[in-house]
Amino acid sequence: MDNRQVVLKLSDITMQFGGVVAVDNLNLEVHKNEIVGLIGPNGAGKTTAFNCITGVYEPTNGAVEINGQVVIENYPKGKMKDAYKGRNKDKYTRTLTMLPDKVTGLGVARTFQNIRLFKGMTVLENVMVAMHMNQTESVFAATFRTKKARAQEKAMREEAMELLKKVDLYENMDDLSTSLPYGKQRHLEIARALATHPTILLLDEPAAGMNPQESDDLMKFIGRIREEFDLSILMIEHHMQVVMGICEHIYVLNYGGQIADGTPEEIQANPAVIEAYLGGDE
Amino acid sequence: MDTSGSRQASRTYYLRKNIIMGLLHTWLPYILAGIAVGGQYALIAIGYTMVYGILRLINFAHGDVFMWSGLIMVYLVTVLPLWLSVILVIAFAIVLGTTIERVAYRPLRTAPRMSIMISAIGVSYLLQNFALYITGGLTKTYPSISWLQKTVKIGSATTKMVTLITPVLTIVLVFILVMLIKHTKIGMAMRAVSRDFETSSLMGIDINRVITVTFIIGCALASIGSILYFSNYTGINPMSGAMPGLKAFVAAVFGGIGSVPGAVVGAFVIGICENLIKGAGWTTFSDAFTFVLLIIILMVKPTGLFGEKNLDKV
Amino acid sequence: MDTRLDNKKKIALSAACLILFMVFVYFGDIMIRPGSSMKMLITVIEKGSIFALVAASMNLLNGFTGLFSLGQAGFMLIGAYTYAIFTIPADSHDKVYQYFNGGIIKWSIVEILESKLGLAGHYLGMLIPMLMAGLLVALIGFLIGIPVLRLKSDYLAIATLGFAEIIRAFFQWNTLGPLTNGSNVLRKYTTYKNAIFPVMIAGISIAIILLLINSTYGRAFRAIRDDEIAAEAMGINLFKHKEMSFVISSFFAGISGALLAMFQTTISATPFTTVMTYEILLIVVIGGIGSITGSVIGAFLFTAASEWWLRGLDAGKWMGISSSLMRPGFRKVVFAILIMLIVLFYSRGIMGDKEFSWDGFFAWCKSRPAAVKAWPEKRKASRAAKKEARAVKSAAKARAKQAKEEKEARKSSGEGLFTPLVLADHVVVFEKEGRNG
Repeated sequence: MDNRQVVLKLSDITMQFGGVVAVDNLNLEVHKNEIVGLIGPNGAGKTTAFNCITGVYEPTNGAVEINGQVVIENYPKGKMKDAYKGRNKDKYTRTLTMLPDKVTGLGVARTFQNIRLFKGMTVLENVMVAMHMNQTESVFAATFRTKKARAQEKAMREEAMELLKKVDLYENMDDLSTSLPYGKQRHLEIARALATHPTILLLDEPAAGMNPQESDDLMKFIGRIREEFDLSILMIEHHMQVVMGICEHIYVLNYGGQIADGTPEEIQANPAVIEAYLGGDE
Repeated sequence: MDTSGSRQASRTYYLRKNIIMGLLHTWLPYILAGIAVGGQYALIAIGYTMVYGILRLINFAHGDVFMWSGLIMVYLVTVLPLWLSVILVIAFAIVLGTTIERVAYRPLRTAPRMSIMISAIGVSYLLQNFALYITGGLTKTYPSISWLQKTVKIGSATTKMVTLITPVLTIVLVFILVMLIKHTKIGMAMRAVSRDFETSSLMGIDINRVITVTFIIGCALASIGSILYFSNYTGINPMSGAMPGLKAFVAAVFGGIGSVPGAVVGAFVIGICENLIKGAGWTTFSDAFTFVLLIIILMVKPTGLFGEKNLDKV
Repeated sequence: MDTRLDNKKKIALSAACLILFMVFVYFGDIMIRPGSSMKMLITVIEKGSIFALVAASMNLLNGFTGLFSLGQAGFMLIGAYTYAIFTIPADSHDKVYQYFNGGIIKWSIVEILESKLGLAGHYLGMLIPMLMAGLLVALIGFLIGIPVLRLKSDYLAIATLGFAEIIRAFFQWNTLGPLTNGSNVLRKYTTYKNAIFPVMIAGISIAIILLLINSTYGRAFRAIRDDEIAAEAMGINLFKHKEMSFVISSFFAGISGALLAMFQTTISATPFTTVMTYEILLIVVIGGIGSITGSVIGAFLFTAASEWWLRGLDAGKWMGISSSLMRPGFRKVVFAILIMLIVLFYSRGIMGDKEFSWDGFFAWCKSRPAAVKAWPEKRKASRAAKKEARAVKSAAKARAKQAKEEKEARKSSGEGLFTPLVLADHVVVFEKEGRNG
């Protein structure tokens, strides 16, 4: 099959809130430079899966590997021990957790379904914030503007501008982030994620609320940034046009469970997927 | 052999009994005072916990409504008979509380949470300063209600009637309140609103009415609490409301904010512990203890004893 | 027409203004006779600059990092005590600590350094305890921050308030008497001679806060304020940055506490209550949450109003009006009402979240004549808008009333009982913002 290196691997990821299993035994692989789609009807657990990868939630069971290194692993314990409804209960024995900022540090950046820009800040500042983690100066040096800190700040600013040029936001640099039109806000979120120097990009419904023309542009844009930044991309998307257009591999979730995976052609022909989306034949 | 053994046993029994009686003798007054104060805190805490449950707002002005009820009582009693004053004080507290809600909180309901909290702090500041102006900064003596001040003897301790009345009255009132919340239509509406503000307003619940009723209940109980509290600590000044108010809030957090029984349990715990600390001679730290407790509970179980966990949605 | 100044000119202009201000304060304090009303101005500048510093430090937390912290008074208290304890002259110890056998620290840093280095030592001897005050408070802030900063907004507020109260109790504790003088006041410690001292210290401190806010760390703080989850997803370690902001804010609160101790010449733990924290918070609100310039302006206005302009309200005569209502305490009532009005109707404060800039200042000056000219029109428009809103509202009310009456009528005629469905003439679709949460 795919001989490229696996950069992101989810094994048996299960997330249970109380009695509700939001993600049920998800196994997923993203290869280097691949664009993988994660689709499914509303409430299928796609965003929850993202939150498990990025450390926002602690998965109830399962493991996440990034670039071959297990970074998150968990098994049901405490109250969950008895309440656990998923599979592979005894497979994992370690507890490894990682906060979102550490996951980002490992090169996994994400965008959000309901755009989460920094409202009180300009477009340029939004991007520069994402570069903060890679700067090396102490708070004192930064406050008192040592030569090195100034140089770093300047480099940061230039890089951010460069990035904004690439996503066509250069002219809006000094605007307040929330004053941008919706489509541009989506672009800015992606630019901000790129500023963390990721190797894996997680996009949560990047085409939401876009018209066909805009989503077409977005498709091209995503393809372009993959080449330019050497990225592997995992995206949640509802627009079938986008998903079928650029994804090389697609995973389909329904009610938390994984019902199919394969190439776009395979997925389009898969009866289980059609049933999940159209509600069966009867 | 046998007899000496039993004698030994009986001696240790008496010794133990003596120690226990001795301990009780020294500590009983403090425990009684603690229970009484706990009941008074409970009456204030209910207002905090209910308002927080519905508006997610720490009503910083609640302690000042409590203080103002006390002040008004001081002034009313000079011209009116006692029973009428009591009724008017409760009515006053209700009017004050609902007015505050209407003027200072309602316009900011859609504003960021920090704004409404600042508004609450502003109201508290205003009420304290106004009290300062009215009283001229002097400590007023709370009218003595002879029936409440009557001394009674429990075991070895003598105490005032108010000490006995408070917990009983508190429990009765809380029971009525819980029944009200559980079994009436408005109670149901309250529970719905505290669960989900937005959805319940979409379901046709009159949010404003629910909030007003919440403030009415909270303020009425706080004013009853003020009568009991100030019958015990007779001095009243503009700052008298701040500390009991904060402590009651801590009690509400301790019990799990939003939960009425939780607030009551928390209040009794705080009242008793505080008095035991006073009894141990650490009076300086009796106030600080409350906050130590607060910080411990927030670290260990931020949702409080009876609180529920809610997850942030990403 | 573009009137933007270049950077050099701006810096020169700012420096000129600051120097002029400093000269005014310095000579003002020397030349103006005590008792004259101009002396009041100097007092306001002194106290105002101290509160400007503590307000700026609080703003760093509340306005820039989004941490609703209410511990500032407690931190000031520690700062004030630390400074005072180390600068009480050796031969005054017996008098000050009369109930504690002269205390345990029998020396003063000021005196030690002064005997060795002269006048320079005197000032160094004041700066070192002040720095110690800041560092001690920063350390305590660090320790408090570890548990507290994991809490969410209002819990954080109440926990910091709680810590401030614990600190206050601690400093009044008799067992610590040999150090803190228990519940008695500390006095006779070294204070500054000229109002320029607090103004300069506060000015430098505020400048540092401004530099911090405009650095990459300041950006990270603001990101946390705007959206914690997004900030974390951008690789910002929430706890580390919150702790950083908290410690730095505590440090400056400590410095301002030390300055306050000097200003007051005596210090005790009693006034550092929650009310003091509230006042600091209200200064921040008046100036604008998220604007350091605003906090500075707010602090001066607050102090001027409460110490000077509204004084007459307590004395019975104010701006030519005299009334029997005006007796001690009235000033604070009026003041509190003013603040409530600001909180309710002008919640962005004076500066909103903008900072002072010369460009903005000139643009503002330039726009004034036009604004004044346009004012009647604007007022007319706003009145018309209000009227319209009222009309719409009353129409809606009337409609609702009518509908209700009709319903009642139908009900009473028994019709409603048999109507199976109410036919809606329009359908409202609710859609949450930002597409399915």
